[in-house]
This record gives sequence, structure tokens and C-alpha cells, in this order.
Amino acid sequence: MFKFIKKKRETEHSVFSNIAYFVGLMFKFSPGLVIGELFSSIIRNLPSKLISVIGIKYIIDTVSEGKDMNRVYKAVLIIAGVLILSNVLSLLYREFYWNMAKERLYYKLNSTLYEKAHSLDLQNYDDPDFYNNFILTIESSSENIQGLLGMVQNYIGNIVSLIAVSSVIFVIDPVCLLIIFASIIIFMPLSTKIGKLQMGRRIDNTKFHRRSDYFQRIFYLQDYAKEVRMNNIRPLLMSRYNEAADDVIANQDKYWKKIASCYAVQQVGVQALGFMFVLPMYLGYCVCVKKTLSAGDFVATFNGAYSIAMSLNFLTVWASAVFSERAKMIEKYRGFLKSDFKIKDGKATAKITEPKTIKIENMSFTYPGNGEPTLKNINLEIKPYEKIALVGYNGAGKTTLTNLLLRLYDVTDGSILIDGQNIKDVTVSSHRDRFSAVFQDFQTFACSVGENVALDENVDSERVLKALRHSGFSKEFKNGTDTELLREFDDEGIMLSGGESQKIAIARAFYKNCPYIILDEPSANLDPIAEYNLNKAMIEAANRKTVIFISHRLSTTVVADKIYVMENGEIIEAGSHGELMAQNGTYAKMFTLQSEKYKK
Amino acid sequence: MRRGFENIKLRDDEKIPVFKNVLYAVRLVWKADKRLLLSYLYSNIIDNVFQYYIQSILFLKILLSIIDSGADFKVYFRKLLAFFGVTVFIKISVWAAAYVRQVSTKNVLKVLNNMVFRKASQLDVGQYEDPEFYDKYQRATNVMSSGYFDIVCWDVAAIIGGIISFLLVIGTVISVNPVYLLFLAPSIIVFVIETAKSKAVFKRDKEMTTNNRTKAYVQRTVFLKDFSKDMRTSNIFSVMMKRFDGAIKGNIEILRSYGLKLFLYSMASTLCSEFIPVIGTYMYAGWQFVSKKALTASGFSVVISAVGAVNGMSWYIQEGFDDLIQMSLYFQNLREFFEYETGIKDGERTAEKFQSLEFKNVSFRYPSAKKNSVNNVSFKIEKGETVALVGINGAGKSTLVKLILRFYDVTDGEILLNGINIKEYTVESLRNSFATVFQDYKNFAVSVFENVMCRECSDEDKIKAQKALEAAGVWDKVKSLPNGGDTVLTREFEEDGAGLSGGENQKVSTARLFARQYEMAILDEPSSALDPIAEYKMYENLIKATKDKTVMYISHRLSSAVLSDRVFVLQNGSIIESGTHKELLERGGKYSEMFKLQASAYKREGENENV
Repeated sequence: MFKFIKKKRETEHSVFSNIAYFVGLMFKFSPGLVIGELFSSIIRNLPSKLISVIGIKYIIDTVSEGKDMNRVYKAVLIIAGVLILSNVLSLLYREFYWNMAKERLYYKLNSTLYEKAHSLDLQNYDDPDFYNNFILTIESSSENIQGLLGMVQNYIGNIVSLIAVSSVIFVIDPVCLLIIFASIIIFMPLSTKIGKLQMGRRIDNTKFHRRSDYFQRIFYLQDYAKEVRMNNIRPLLMSRYNEAADDVIANQDKYWKKIASCYAVQQVGVQALGFMFVLPMYLGYCVCVKKTLSAGDFVATFNGAYSIAMSLNFLTVWASAVFSERAKMIEKYRGFLKSDFKIKDGKATAKITEPKTIKIENMSFTYPGNGEPTLKNINLEIKPYEKIALVGYNGAGKTTLTNLLLRLYDVTDGSILIDGQNIKDVTVSSHRDRFSAVFQDFQTFACSVGENVALDENVDSERVLKALRHSGFSKEFKNGTDTELLREFDDEGIMLSGGESQKIAIARAFYKNCPYIILDEPSANLDPIAEYNLNKAMIEAANRKTVIFISHRLSTTVVADKIYVMENGEIIEAGSHGELMAQNGTYAKMFTLQSEKYKK
Repeated sequence: MRRGFENIKLRDDEKIPVFKNVLYAVRLVWKADKRLLLSYLYSNIIDNVFQYYIQSILFLKILLSIIDSGADFKVYFRKLLAFFGVTVFIKISVWAAAYVRQVSTKNVLKVLNNMVFRKASQLDVGQYEDPEFYDKYQRATNVMSSGYFDIVCWDVAAIIGGIISFLLVIGTVISVNPVYLLFLAPSIIVFVIETAKSKAVFKRDKEMTTNNRTKAYVQRTVFLKDFSKDMRTSNIFSVMMKRFDGAIKGNIEILRSYGLKLFLYSMASTLCSEFIPVIGTYMYAGWQFVSKKALTASGFSVVISAVGAVNGMSWYIQEGFDDLIQMSLYFQNLREFFEYETGIKDGERTAEKFQSLEFKNVSFRYPSAKKNSVNNVSFKIEKGETVALVGINGAGKSTLVKLILRFYDVTDGEILLNGINIKEYTVESLRNSFATVFQDYKNFAVSVFENVMCRECSDEDKIKAQKALEAAGVWDKVKSLPNGGDTVLTREFEEDGAGLSGGENQKVSTARLFARQYEMAILDEPSSALDPIAEYKMYENLIKATKDKTVMYISHRLSSAVLSDRVFVLQNGSIIESGTHKELLERGGKYSEMFKLQASAYKREGENENV
């Protein structure tokens, strides 16, 4: 497992390349923001750092050497002016530009991501690795902006103050600077070790936490409440949780013993030995015995040492840890934005016409990553205005077939022709415009009723109401088709039952001006009376359209012009209800089983 | 640090007693594991005092005064050595405390979770379905899942540490020259300004809540698989993007409207915390030197460092209070959760062998609902009977089951088991009398065998479980899994775990029924995920397994009704018809209408066959 990860890393971009990529991206969308961050970092850091080192030295020295007091006042006035100016500038920037520019940048970056996500092939959703990265990418977008802008600012700020403070101390006494850098650098390897230990701890912890989080979820979520209460499974689940929690504790113990020791040694070395012993001893010696340094030098160097240590610690340990974490996110980001899609547009544009013949020739399909084909050598022809039923066991390939018709996936072999034209030869969107599809797992959206039926910005209220009537939707709305559905952002939003939602979904098929309708289990959530009405409406609709529907319930298939029975990815029987019953094959068997209880 | 406020809807009149909640939080963590709070207190107080007092003030003050007084280098060296010793001790002990903290925080998580799990499994199911309670409950769980208990400890310790070093710093400044306090005083005003500023920011963020929810929703529709097909085959994406654009523009407007206010607050805050203290100290020091020749280098640098230290600490303390105010809500929710009294009270009797189950004039209204879901329902089921509850969606079928199992208690009337009100039995023994298969069945990420037996499995248990899986018609599939029946049903954290299809999952959960001792079986749409043949087999097996048992089927498919001794037809919470399948058909009421509609297609074929 670990080897595998390492191998994968080699093809990744370097930390620097990733950071540069994202900063470049931000610069492209909002140059003002990136430049603003650079300047404000200098403005905010430099004056206060310099004052704490040079200002104090200058004043102590002037005062203790008894020089002209006017110089002190002048210095104080300059300091005051610089402080006020830098504060006003950086606060103006922050409250009047930064906030809003960030929101705008978020919009631009995320729109790009959403557009990309929207154009992705559906098969990408089936690939768990890709899908996880995809979610991480989108969710980390705002964090990336915030984090990187902050880091850019801090990074530049620290470099500037490191250089400034170092040069001041260098001027005072190069030996001091040497002591400071030596004590930091000698203990640097420990920081690297700590970084590695932390990484190892995090990786192991994620593993153990995944298990404990699962059991935590069972108790937190509503979904499992009934099952847990009826089955006495609580003791088992709790002991599983406790095992996992103990693993986490043991892991934490194992790593933190080492991490804490490393930290202790490092800090004793740098701060206690270096800054609070060797450095002040040298300074004291210079001031008291050799008299080469002044008290002002003493204070300046002492304060400067901490400033240097903080900057160096930030620039090396902290920044590199944060940058490499961030770079991993950005790597995913890049991968996502670069990912290629396989379902390509054809050259022609499909037109909305009267229904034409749909022909499937020698078509096979294998889901990516699957060994077994899901559909094998399918041949069928759907004539205009026909009502086609697809029936068969779970997993027989019915839904896959409709996915292929819509080019949510592309066929592996063979072809699908509409009016003699391969569906790959037209643009994906114009092709899909010809279809209206109601999926088994259809969704209602948190927008208006009208938008939910039209699934478009432009809503024709009259037609929406008509479509709703057709699908048997009887609920009245306060604001008509403008009424919001769901409570996502409208507290007055309407909540629908399963059956009502399904009727909304079916209304989409009636609303859309297109020649072909696909219905996947349209009656699953409906009661017998609603189901009956729906069948009637469908038959009416099909006078103007071709309808392809999938159903488990064979009572609905009786009305179909042609029924295709599927098993293991193949069409094993085809024909009208009467023909299939006469054949006395699988369909007849299934039908008899189901209808048995309805016979008197 | 602002956290998670975007998704919380608070009523405006809701007051949150911060102090009380924080005290509760501290007590809770203290009870869970004393080490966590102790290590936080130790390291935060010592760290604070070290960083802001010992290192930046005391150290300079003592060494500089030795230099000022022109004493011997040996004196200087001895002091230095003493400081070195103290620093080494502090650094080592602080990191030892960090180690203790890192381990004990995970232990606190475990202990708190155990408390929550125990309480959660006593909750009424009804509570889960109450959105207000559920919201609070979910927020309470953040204490554990987002580690808020840790943050509270950190904040409390940081504030205490901050105050202690604050007092030490002030003491030192007074010892140099009390006048300098004048210049430090504005730092105190900073608290007031910063509090006002956070309030403004909070208000601003609250105004952005709706827009942020829109942003989050649009994002979800883009990346959730559930939406992917609808998004691709329609233009709804453009509707979503329009909303996204609108939300961003709204946010920018809000940000702009707060710009000037926040700028002024921040400016005032910097003036008080940085500008006045620094400039004032410099000016006064200079004046003092000229007029009185009374300033020493040590005194001056102590005061300047004190300005820095006071700034650092007030930021620290401010941050701590800000955090606590936010955390407070979560702990309040957690306390309410722990203190919540379940509405379903245990009785004292143990439910014995099943004789009969009777509904006597039972009515039920969901809390906060306007209408009864069950209206004056009366019926009796005798031992060994098979009954079917049929009716359209929302007729109240599943509610009746919830009442029998005491997920809810009746509003009116009573339910009698063996002639005794079910409230008189212990909830556990009552529920143990029933085996249930729910419409929204769930399996767990434990082994298949454990899923069936609901406990750690002995070899004997495994044989039982296997038989049950055979009866449910899924053993062949289970056998083919990497570890057979010992395979864990998840790939989430188990590398050789396995996932099952919807139908297979339903069968595994049905196997639970075959494996257990029970008096009466309640089957709520047990076949919804199955294809016709699997459904048929499932019913066949269920009939076999439940022979001689009392069974209640719930379905909107009427085929199950044919198998039953008696059928109850529900509409709008009332039983409108009851009798045998035959009787009901003959009566020509609602049932026969529904049955005929469903059967019409099948019947046509039936007639053809007869021809």
C-alpha cells in the first residue's frame, strides 16, 4: 500500500509548482488581490519589526549617551507617522477591497470548477478515487484561496522582516547573528523529524478514525435509529466503537511520546541554551566587560533574536508543512481541471423534430473497471410513437440501456442511430435536448415549482400548470409556479411527499418539448390509483411522442406496443404482451407470478 | 476564529448563558478525564507567563539592571544560569504536558461519545423526527466530532494564563513607574472596541447566511451524484448558476455596507493598542530623562516590552472569549440533550407469550402536527393470525407500527398486548416480542453474521445465521464474499469488506427476522427493492418462516393482502374497511376499487388464458 503511494507521488508536481500554479490562477482571476496581499504584508510587518529593534536601540542609546533630546522627539514623530500611515493603508485595503475581492475570486474560481464538473462524464462519478478528489477539490476551493492568500502574505512578510532584522543585528555585532543562526540551524534536523512524525501520525489516525467515525455516525444519525432500537445491536456497535477509539488513543500515545520529546529537545536547545544562555552571556560580556556594546544593542539584539527565530521557524518548518499540505490539495485541483472527458461532441447539431426511428445495432457496453460487459450485443428498433417497455431482473441492464441512449455513457461497441444518424455525430447537448428523462432517483431542486418542472431559467407558467395536471399533481400553491420548493433557503418553501415529488418529475417529461420520453420506474412511489392515472396519461402523451419506460410491475407493461425482456445484459424476449405470453418464456413466468394473486 | 455559524439559525430572542455553558463544559471534560484540563491549564499558564513575562520582561529587567548598576560579570552570570535552569524545566514540562494532552483528548472523545451513544439509544424515535430537536442534537454532536471540547479547554486555560501574566506585567510596570500605566490603559479599551467589532462582524455574517446557504446548496447540486443525471439532461444547471451569481453579488453588497464601520473600529483598536502606548511611552521616557535624568535603560525597555506583552495578551484573551461565546451554544445543546427526559416511560411488566394485540379507540397526532395521523382506530389481532394493513401512501400504516413498538405513545385510547396496556411493559421486553423488517431497513458495517444475529457471534450463532441467510435467499451470495459470512459489510474502512446490492441488503436484514425469537412479525414493505421473482420467493419464505406466528404485513401492493387472514384498509388515519380479501372484494368498496385497478392489467391476461 505504502509503496503504491510513493510510486504515485513521482508523477505529481512539486510543491513549488503547485503553489505557483494556484497563485497564478488567482492572479489570472484577480490580479489586484494578489498584488494587494504582497504590499499589505510589507506594510504591516516591516515598520513594527524595525521599530521594535532599531527604534528602541536608537532611543536607549541617545538617552544613555546624553545626546540631544530633540533627536529623540524627531525619531518618535517619525515612528508615529510611519505607524499611522501603515495602519491606515492596510486597514483601508482590508475593509474596502480584500473582503469583496475575495468573494469575487471565489465566484470566478468556483464557476470554473462547476462548469468543469458539469461537463464531466457520468462515469467519473462511479470511480471512487476520482469522485473523492472531485469533492475535495470543490470543497477546498474557498479554503485554498483563504489559506494561500494568507500564506503569501505571511511568507513575504517574514522574509522581509528576517532580512531587515538580520541586517540590523549584523551591523551591531556579526557574532550575535552567528550565535542566533547557529542555535537555530543546529537543531533544524529535529524539525524535519517532527514533521515526518506528524505526517505518520496523521496518516495512521485517519485510518483508525475512519472506523470510529463510522460507528459514531450510526448513533448520531436518524437513519439507524429504528433498527438500533429493535435489534439490541447497541452493545455490539459500542464495543466496536470502543475498540476503534482505543486504537486511536494507542496511536496518539505512540507518536506523541516521540513528537513531544523532539519538541522538548529542540526548544531547550534553541530557546533555553541559545537565546537565553549563550546569546545573553556573550552580550553581557560585551556590554559589561569588553564595553564594546551598549545597553541599546543588548535589547535590540535580544528582541531581534526572537524575531529571527520566529521568522525562520515560519519560513522553514511551518510554511513548508502548510505549503506541502496545500500543494496536495492543489494537485487534486489541477488533476480535476485537467481531467479529460470521453464523451465528445459530434459536429452536427440535432434538431427537435417529430419522433424518428431509434435503432440500436450490435451494441455492447462494459462499465469502466468492470470485467464483465453489462450489455451484450443489443439490437433493437424503436419506431416513432411507439411505447416501449424494458423489463427484467435487478441488474439486467435496463437502466444502463437508457443511460446509453442519453449518452450519459458511450457504447463500447456497436452504435445507436436516430433517423439513421449515429448519436455520436451530434453535439451532446443537442442530442440530450431531444429527450426528456425521469430517472428512478430523480431529484427535486430548491428552486421554484416552475423551474422544477421546466428545468430551465425560462418558465412558461401555463404549460407548467398543464404538465402538472397531466401528471396528476393536485396540490395548490400560494404563489403559483413561483412558489419555492424545499426549505433550503426559503423557510416558507413547500415540502413534498415522495409521491408528489414523483409527479413533479413526471410533469417534466410532459413539459419538455421533445420527441422522446424515458421513464425509469415512474410509478415506484405511487399508490395504485395514482399509478393507474399515470398510465393513462402516459398513453395519451405517447400519441405525440415515443415513450421508453422501465418497470418492475408488469401491470404497466401490458399497454406497451413492444416489450423487451432483459436478462444478464441481453434481450432474451421481445414482442407485444400477447406475443410474449404465447411464447410462454421468462416474461410469461414473471407475469403469472405477479398476477397470480390478483386472479379470483 | 469564526466557526460554523453560517448554517445555524438562531431565534433572535434566544439568549445563551455563556458562563453557565462554559462551566458545564469544563465540568463535563473534568469528569471524563482530569488529565486533559490539567495539562491544558499547566501548559497554557506556564507558556503564557513564560512568553509574556519571564522571557520578555523579567529576564530583560533583571539583566539590564545588573548592567545599569555596573555590577560584576559574575553576578550577571549567576543570574543567567538561574534563568537557564528555569527555562529548561519549563520547556521540558510543557512538552510533557502536551504529550499527556494529546493522549487524553482522544480519551475524552471516547468517554463523551459513550455517554452520547447511551443517551441517544434511549431517545424516542419521535425526537429524531422533530426537526428542532434534531437540529440541536446534530449541533451537540459537534462537541465531539469537531473537537469543540478541546477548544473550550484551550480557551479557558488561555484566558486564565493571560490574566495571570497580565497582572504580573502590570505589577512590573508599576514597580518601574506607575505613570506608564496611563499609556497602557487604552489597551483595556481595546476589549470594548473589539467586542463591538465582533458584534458587527457577527451581524454581517448573519446577514450573509441566506446567501451562503444558497452557495452551499448550489455546490451540492453540482457535486452530488444524486443530481448528476438530472443536471446533465436538462438546463437546470443554468438556473443554479444564476442563483450562485445572485448570492455572491448579495454578499458583496453586504460586505461593502459594513466596510466603513469595520474600518473605523479597527482603526480605533490599533490606535489604542499600539499607537498611544508606544508613542506615549517614548515621549514620556524622553521627557523624564531630560527633566529628571531619572530613566534607566532597563526601566525603559521593560515598559516598551510591556506594551508588546499587553497587546499580545489582550489579543489572546479576546480570542479566547470570542471562541467561548461560539462554543457555548454547542455545549448548551449538549446539555439539553443529556438532560432530555424521554417521553416514552418504561413500565414494569415483562411482556410474555403473545395472546392478542388490540387497538382500542386509538388516536394519534404527531407533535406539532395540525391533524391526527391516526383517528379512533380499533381492531384486535389474535394469536396466529396474518393480517395486512393496506392503504395509499400517507394513510397512516407506518404510524400504526410506530405506535405498537412505542416509538411514539398514543394521544388517545390504548393499545393492549395480551389485554394489558403496552405502557405497562418495559420498553425492551415489548420491543423484543416483535420482529420487524422496515421499509427503510439498514445494515451495519459489522460482519454479515453479526448483522443477522446483532451480537458477537459464537460458532453456534454462525450456524444459526447461515440458516437464516439461506431462508432469506442470500446465502449463495454471502458464501461468495471474500470471508463468507465473516465479511464486514463495508469497504469504507475494511479492505476485504464488501458491499451488497439493494436487494441483497434487504435480504440480509430480512434474515434478522428468521434468526430471532419473536412473538409477532411486522413486515413494512419488505419487498420494495426486489424484482418480481425475488419478491415472490421472499414472500414464500416469509410465509414458511412465520407459519404459526402472528404476522402483520404492510404494503400498498395488494398482492400481500391476498395471503392474509384479514385485511385492514386505512384511509386518512382511519380503518375504513376490514375483513377477508374475499369479503372486501364482494363489498365493492375502496379495497375492491384499488384491487381492481391494480389487477386490471393482470386480469386481462387472466381472461385471455381462460379463453
